[in-house]
Amino acid sequence: MNTFAALDLHISIAAQELFKIGSFPVTNAMLTGLAGLVITVAILFYVAGKVKKGRYNRFVGLVQWVFEGLLKSIHDIIPDQKLARKITPLAVTIFFFVLISYWLSVLPGLETVMYNGVPILRSLTADLNFTLGLALITVVVVQIYAIKQLGIIGNAGRYFRNPIKDPIGAFEGVLELIGEVSRGTALALRLFGNAFAGEVLLIVIAALTSYFATVALPFFMGFELFIGFIQAYVFFVLTLIFTSLAVSHHGDSNHDHSPAPKSKKAKSVG
Amino acid sequence: MEILRQFASTEAAAAESSDIFSALGINWMMLIFQIVAFLLLVVLLGKFVYPWLIKSVDERQDKINAATKAASEAQAAAVDAEARVEKLLKKARVEAADIVATAKLESASALAASEEKAKKRSEQIISDAQDEIKKEVIAAKTALHNETIELVALATEKVVGKAVSSKIDESLITDALKAVK
Repeated sequence: MNTFAALDLHISIAAQELFKIGSFPVTNAMLTGLAGLVITVAILFYVAGKVKKGRYNRFVGLVQWVFEGLLKSIHDIIPDQKLARKITPLAVTIFFFVLISYWLSVLPGLETVMYNGVPILRSLTADLNFTLGLALITVVVVQIYAIKQLGIIGNAGRYFRNPIKDPIGAFEGVLELIGEVSRGTALALRLFGNAFAGEVLLIVIAALTSYFATVALPFFMGFELFIGFIQAYVFFVLTLIFTSLAVSHHGDSNHDHSPAPKSKKAKSVG
Repeated sequence: MEILRQFASTEAAAAESSDIFSALGINWMMLIFQIVAFLLLVVLLGKFVYPWLIKSVDERQDKINAATKAASEAQAAAVDAEARVEKLLKKARVEAADIVATAKLESASALAASEEKAKKRSEQIISDAQDEIKKEVIAAKTALHNETIELVALATEKVVGKAVSSKIDESLITDALKAVK
């Protein structure tokens, strides 16, 4: 037990401030995020440049293969081809950026490279600001597409219904509203929880295995790479599913839950 | 566990010192900055990267579709060609059978004609030979007749003892022969 204490592990839920630019705090997660951003842009621009010139190699083929798979998933989940093409940049960027940011947490030196006593490296996905921001973007974009598809009134009709005419529908609307908030929160917390837990896991394994860390850590790093891929894909797929659900409410708002008209219909039939 | 105690105490202290958002590290300024940065990334990639990748995927898909279409067309053409070949083979077999039958008939008729011709030719040869023989016989008879007349004339001359002219001689012989007949 004293060994762990002697290690003086830095485990913090919040990303830690490295320095300030004016009043703006620059955290370790932002620094790693910037690296992730540069890597993402560099990879995708390199691939796009090669594709544009028609010069292919194995790496370009790999990225293109992943992109094609993502595009296929988008078209499978969102049947409207026009909407699918519109949501593609957001969904694919989420996948690539989350994947690369998550994988940066596996970089060696996670806990050892310090600046003013604060670790320099921390995955951006282990920063709630980023995951919450991403979830907010997703929720807002989903609402924008829902409004474009259903109209402002139609989209509002998903949440707000007349409780006197349609009490069950009104209750459903409230649940839908709560669902929107919970979906966004779940998106943010799921990614953050996994990334943060992954980082803590690597730190703890490194501490527990001491000199054997060089043997033990690669297994856990491999596992984290796999989890990173899963989380990026889950975020990507959930973004698409939420969009698909939001725009597929055509006519659903007209569902009649009140028993009165049904009885009228029944009488007329009878 | 010292780690967990340390971890818990740090977070508890943070939670006590500030609200829940601060404890979780949520800073509105950083949140907005990261949202803007991410949206810029989406716009940048959406404008300069994805169109090329989508275009390449679409082109490849078009090529696959075209190849699939070509393959199905080729398959249909192969089936059609096979049917046509079968039909042609059937027709060829029928034609070949007709040709063989015709050839057999023609060869039979040619054989019969040549047999007929050979028969006629042989009959002609025989007939010619017979005519020749007849002519030779007649010639021989004529020669014999003339020799006989000469002999008779000589004999008669010797018997009669006087020489007669050839014309008288001849008329005498002729008369004698007529008398003999």
